[in-house]
Amino acid sequence: MHQRMTKRRLALKRLPARVGRLALAAGMLLLLPGFQGSDSQYHSYDDLTAALTRAVRAHSDIARMESLGETIEGRDVWMVEIANRGGTPVEQRPALLIVANLEGNHLVGSELALRTVEYLLDNYDSDPDVKERVDNHAFYVFPRLNPDAAELMWDDIKTGRRTNPKPYDGDNDGRTDEDGPEDLNGDGFITQMRVADPAGQYMIDPDEARLMRKADAAKGESGAYEVYWEGVDNDGDDFYNEDPLGGVDMNRNFQHEYPYYDADAGYHMVSEVESRALMDFVVSHRNIALVLTFGESDNLVTSPASGGALAPAAPIALLSFADESNAGADQVGMFRVPQIRGFGGFGFFMRQAQAASSGGRRPPARRPATTVNSADIDYYSTIGEQYREITGVEQVATTRAPKGAFFEYAYFQFGVPSFSTPGWGLPAAAAPGGGEAGGDPPMRTQLTRTRTAGAGQGPQGARRTGGGGGDVQTDSKVLKWMDEQSVAGFVAWEEFQHPTLGTVEIGGFTPYATANPPVSELTELGESHARFAVYLTSLFADVRIADVQVTNHGGGVFEIKADIENVGFLPTSTSQGVTSRSVAPTMVQLGIDPANLLTGAAKTSFFSRLNGSGTRESYTWVIQGRQGASVELKVRSQKGGSDSATITLR
Amino acid sequence: MTSTLKNAMYRAVMLCVLSASLLMVTAPAGRAQSGSDPQFRVKIDFNRWHDYDELKSDLLRLEEAFPRFLKYSSVGQSYGGRDMMLMTINNPETGPEMGKAAMYIEANIHGNEIQGGEVCLYTVWYLMENYGRIDEVTKLVDERVFYIFPSVNPDGRDYFMDGTGSGSRTGHVPVDQDNDGLFDEDGPNDLNGNGTIEQIRKYVPGEGTHRISHDDYRILERVPAGETGDWVMLGSEGLDDDGDGRVNEDAIGGYDPNRNWGTGWQPNYIQGGAMDYPFQLPESRAVNDFLLSHPNVAGVQSYHNSGGMILRGPGAEWHGEYPAADVRAYDQLGQQGARMLPYYRYIVLWDSLYTVHGGFIDWTNDGIGALSFSNELWNRGQYFNSPDLKRQQQDPDSPIASPRDRYFFDDHLEFGDQYVEWQEFEHPQYGTVEVGGWKKTFGRVPPRFMNEELAHRNMAFTLYQANEMPLMTMAQPSVERMEGGVFRVRVELTNGKITPTILEQAAQNKVVRPDLLTLAGNVEVISAGVVQNKFIPGPSEMIDQKDLTRIMFRNGTPGNTTRVVEYLLRGSGNVTIIYSSVKGGTVEQRFSLR
Repeated sequence: MHQRMTKRRLALKRLPARVGRLALAAGMLLLLPGFQGSDSQYHSYDDLTAALTRAVRAHSDIARMESLGETIEGRDVWMVEIANRGGTPVEQRPALLIVANLEGNHLVGSELALRTVEYLLDNYDSDPDVKERVDNHAFYVFPRLNPDAAELMWDDIKTGRRTNPKPYDGDNDGRTDEDGPEDLNGDGFITQMRVADPAGQYMIDPDEARLMRKADAAKGESGAYEVYWEGVDNDGDDFYNEDPLGGVDMNRNFQHEYPYYDADAGYHMVSEVESRALMDFVVSHRNIALVLTFGESDNLVTSPASGGALAPAAPIALLSFADESNAGADQVGMFRVPQIRGFGGFGFFMRQAQAASSGGRRPPARRPATTVNSADIDYYSTIGEQYREITGVEQVATTRAPKGAFFEYAYFQFGVPSFSTPGWGLPAAAAPGGGEAGGDPPMRTQLTRTRTAGAGQGPQGARRTGGGGGDVQTDSKVLKWMDEQSVAGFVAWEEFQHPTLGTVEIGGFTPYATANPPVSELTELGESHARFAVYLTSLFADVRIADVQVTNHGGGVFEIKADIENVGFLPTSTSQGVTSRSVAPTMVQLGIDPANLLTGAAKTSFFSRLNGSGTRESYTWVIQGRQGASVELKVRSQKGGSDSATITLR
Repeated sequence: MTSTLKNAMYRAVMLCVLSASLLMVTAPAGRAQSGSDPQFRVKIDFNRWHDYDELKSDLLRLEEAFPRFLKYSSVGQSYGGRDMMLMTINNPETGPEMGKAAMYIEANIHGNEIQGGEVCLYTVWYLMENYGRIDEVTKLVDERVFYIFPSVNPDGRDYFMDGTGSGSRTGHVPVDQDNDGLFDEDGPNDLNGNGTIEQIRKYVPGEGTHRISHDDYRILERVPAGETGDWVMLGSEGLDDDGDGRVNEDAIGGYDPNRNWGTGWQPNYIQGGAMDYPFQLPESRAVNDFLLSHPNVAGVQSYHNSGGMILRGPGAEWHGEYPAADVRAYDQLGQQGARMLPYYRYIVLWDSLYTVHGGFIDWTNDGIGALSFSNELWNRGQYFNSPDLKRQQQDPDSPIASPRDRYFFDDHLEFGDQYVEWQEFEHPQYGTVEVGGWKKTFGRVPPRFMNEELAHRNMAFTLYQANEMPLMTMAQPSVERMEGGVFRVRVELTNGKITPTILEQAAQNKVVRPDLLTLAGNVEVISAGVVQNKFIPGPSEMIDQKDLTRIMFRNGTPGNTTRVVEYLLRGSGNVTIIYSSVKGGTVEQRFSLR
């Protein structure tokens, strides 16, 4: 312990003072039941940097690390590349990209990424599978994309904030970050407050008095409580903690179904140093053929349904209720706009007759895909099954809807198979389902609000509908698990005299506890996820020139026939990669002067997609040539490597 | 007493400014007045096209001549290392730059759409040369700020101007258009070395798809089905540079810089040329960084060519029409523009032109909250611009009927300057061919001699918009003493311009800070409300906000509107009341409670 603190202090010299202050709270971690461990722990930024540096230095022949950006608080956005640089240039090999800790509170993602790095490096010499992958493929690992937010886990008072510290006027009231939470009961956690209120819409759950649920008037229930985040109304606007510090949640800042104008989504897509560092890397590394992210959305534990949709999100309802208490804060001060005639004004944004002259109707614009392409679903199912098999994770604790999440971009726009998993789960015994479905499908309730397509893809309709979702079943499932495993993730409600709300109760779920597993599970989860990463890299498409025949027709006329084969598991492109035109078609090129091509395939030909497991594509060229001359045949696949053959004309 | 101290100061400053500028204009040194017409200080040609270096040096000459108002700067570098040129026009004596609404004017985002650069240059020149001479110009320069970007795609501009002119809509970030792993390796080639890319045709008697028109030997027309012609068309002037068997398949760049912005952005397969993410391009990023740090920008004009249009968003139908209040402001301005610009139509982008995802004016409306137009400069209708000539063009036998009209115009008004006669060329892939046709400066830009009028009329519309940016005024509040030490105070808040201080769309998107009405002094607010109709007695509409010494107007003050706010107050002494708007300026008054 003492040694660790010393090291941290030394490293802090290059960081701004306020960051240093955060790190001093690191010792607090050991006070958290459930986050203790003698041989294992969550890594602060400095610890993570040190661990990565140590691992990379010890294996500098096959690993390097690079900072691709510097955050607001001066931390590096690390990228670790693991590849034996001998042989095929790394940039031309199919690669697996791993990205973790995009959401600031999802520290377990960093642990899995770090342990994957260590596993690959430590086992390179001893495990032939690992050696084969590192020699022929590449791993790019971003272990912590949101390091400023992640560091809050070591703060004196834990908020569990997901966003980086970019100042942002969340409720647009002209004051920035002016009303964050306070730890009123001094327990070191920002939890929730429930307040008896005849106008409130919530009631104590009759099955579990620690939990709250929405009163259902149709069942004769009436609400008696309001739920807030713990804190006071700093700016005197009657809302509690509606504009905390920050910022941008990196898993809300990417281009697919971007949640326009949500308070945690940034000013625009890819607006942050962190997200831009990742995007610039990705678009300049088109050899990335698979993406694995650790985050709070899931498509591995529960694979996409047959229609291509992901399972509905299963957030913690109690936290959603607290969010919802601030739903109206960004509408205060909306005045009715006087209308000259007709209907309209605030609340009525009708289409009206065009005063601008109209050139007539246009065909409706094409819409982007929002579900996994049917031709890609089976690959998702197969890989999901393997994930559950290898990691044993069969039931997630909670998940969020992936609006603007990176892994969604990587599939829908970058066009590669792309996965997200929380990286841990509740014991399978607690799952009534299991098997193919991978746990009980969370039920939709009236709280699980899904935005209309317009809100995701277009900026219109971005008006907040009031809080997120929440399934009380998720709350009770998680609480039951905490009770059974002695995870201290729920603070018992206790009375508190609030300065403006009067007698309240403070309690509820603690930050981090519902998003991260106990420390004792990290070693095993780390190893199994590393093995899953190794499994993923066995799946890449692999194009070969399988068979070449030359026929001499005499008179300097030669016929060349060649089969191109994909001996890998994955196709050379997903169907979405073809649809989105983001995966380059595979090029087959015969190295001759185009003037000597008589008939058959073009000198440069392309195919958009070739299935794996030995599927072939045939080409024939009839050319004019000189007996004994050699011709180069090249095949180059963006995601499936390349091959070449020298053909002698005889 | 209707004027606050601040307004009084403003007037005093204005008087000084006016007299100072009068002195400058009438000063004898080197300023000989010739007849009744003004002598201009800076001579600039508006009847020719300027490349990047020329634009920059003209801007610098203007800055040197008018240092009081002009500041040249660069907001970043293009991919090719050129300045992202910005001319700021601001009179520092009438208040700080950020306290005044700014009109953002840009051009040439598409490299080949060059004449907007000259419109920008003309605008700087016109405002400066006429400051102190024409009252309306003086007022505009004193009340407003102008940010003028004559070319936001300087690489594309120079590629068009100094290069061969083909494919210069794009910027110069390399894109592998033919998926062969090589970037920009096979663009067009200037085979005949005349500095422009024309067409290739090949003479194939009896086997072709085209024939020469009986009307004019320069007109190649497609033969009807069932007939054969003597010519085939082989595309743009060029070679198979990379030896892959195809000609001109991967030219420089290969994207659309006007699809790289943050509203409604869609990936390439939905919106061609969008690149990988918004603001990926160095040019769009530099401009956006500027915009995000200049919240005073309240109006935008982005000059394009061609077709004669005054365009507004939305760019895509699924965005939905703008809120009614915003549409009203757009319509008032756009319809006025259509009166000022003959042959231009005021239209909605998606509805009357085409769908655009991630376009610039969508971003500036939705993400920046600035009322935004894009003028498509130049309409070919202007070649023959009288009702009588239009009638003659309807007669198929007329020498100015389509398609003869353009040849007639080139022959008789441009003396054949725009047409390149076909000439033989030995092409390595196609054999003996001919190269010729229209030059790059034909069609999308006006004939040079007509450009000054184009520049002036479009500038006039943009200055009209600039004048109609929001501008708040506040009347002296009325104070009525009631019983029990309570005062009823009424204040009239007016935005006398067409543009609201905050667009309704911007308010919904939460991208503009709300307008704030604050009270300072020994004062306690009992209640506040908006008076429904000041001529009819009745209760005001209560303002339901917690802190009534700081009232938020999230959607600002609409255009051409006076809003009366009534307070019930307790307190004593002098009270200052301030209305602060990011785009509509800050105004204040003082009143006494006694």
